[in-house]
Amino acid sequence: MNKNRPGSVNLATMVKLSWPITSLSSILHRVTGVLLFLAIPFFLWAIELSLSSQSGFNQIQQVLQGDVAKFISWTILSMLCYHMIAGARHLLMDAGIGESLEGGILGSKLVILAGILIAAGLGVWIW
Amino acid sequence: MQFSIYRYDPDTDKKPYMKDYELEIETGSDMMLLDALILLKAQDAGISFRRSCREGVCGSDGVNVNGKNALACITPLSSLKGKKITVRPLPGLPVIRDLVVDMTQFYRQYEKIRPYLINNDEQPVREHLQTPQDREKLDGLYECILCACCSTACPSFWWNPDKFIGPSGLLQAYRFIIDSRDTETESRLDDLDDAYSLFRCRGIMNCVSVCPKGLNPTQAIGHIRSMLLNRGL
Repeated sequence: MNKNRPGSVNLATMVKLSWPITSLSSILHRVTGVLLFLAIPFFLWAIELSLSSQSGFNQIQQVLQGDVAKFISWTILSMLCYHMIAGARHLLMDAGIGESLEGGILGSKLVILAGILIAAGLGVWIW
Repeated sequence: MQFSIYRYDPDTDKKPYMKDYELEIETGSDMMLLDALILLKAQDAGISFRRSCREGVCGSDGVNVNGKNALACITPLSSLKGKKITVRPLPGLPVIRDLVVDMTQFYRQYEKIRPYLINNDEQPVREHLQTPQDREKLDGLYECILCACCSTACPSFWWNPDKFIGPSGLLQAYRFIIDSRDTETESRLDDLDDAYSLFRCRGIMNCVSVCPKGLNPTQAIGHIRSMLLNRGL
């Protein structure tokens, strides 16, 4: 008899499950949070270099003009904005706002919509 | 109508697999998913699943249908989309056989919240009285039938089934915390005041999305969280 019972959840089972919109806004909040955290060293390095001297500042300014650098800045800024809005939604939920099923769905939709609009706006501003 | 059913027999199978079935259903007629499962069992007697009251009261036939947890007995086939209906066991709990899962972890969490009224005051001559207003606070809480649809839809419960009480247990915990006849409110809150028991809830709301009784564990958890916060201030 097979003693190792199956049933634990892994990525393969997760893709077969349904993903309500509230879970999508939640996983995006988590993913953006992790990526933002990983981006911290790069920004610390950049700000350190830009503050060290005039030539360092010019160097960073030059780097940020590049297309790849622009894309990375856009991604990170968009993620930061989404992460903050989703976090604010959690604060509202802590205050009892948007805790019903309808409220949760509406809140998630608004958060994702706001994230997309802000990302588009940032794109226009950066390019 | 086509069905794809999760099959696993610990005696013969190394791994679970999906098996396809076909069921003739008269056009214009409808039935509950549980009725369909019973008809499929007539085709293939090996299919195993739990069921008892067959009307959404006992909570024993929780299954994952097309990716969403539900009670088979109150899910009409007409409400399911797609050509093929996929039935899997509730996710996250160890599978004993086919659609039958081991609920031990789920019940252990329920046990932890002391799911019974505790009143240390002097016992009244008749019963503990409660105002209609206080009784109303239990609405939306006492209806839980422990089918485990919510807890097995909860990612926080998947990753920490031993430490996180889970939506069902926390809804039940709040049912006793808010009961005016219960005198153990403080110690009940103490039990939940750690990093895992309650605070692993991330407000994903999968529990609310799937509850077959239309209950809202996220809200109950929010209420407990506010009580813990008020107490700490």
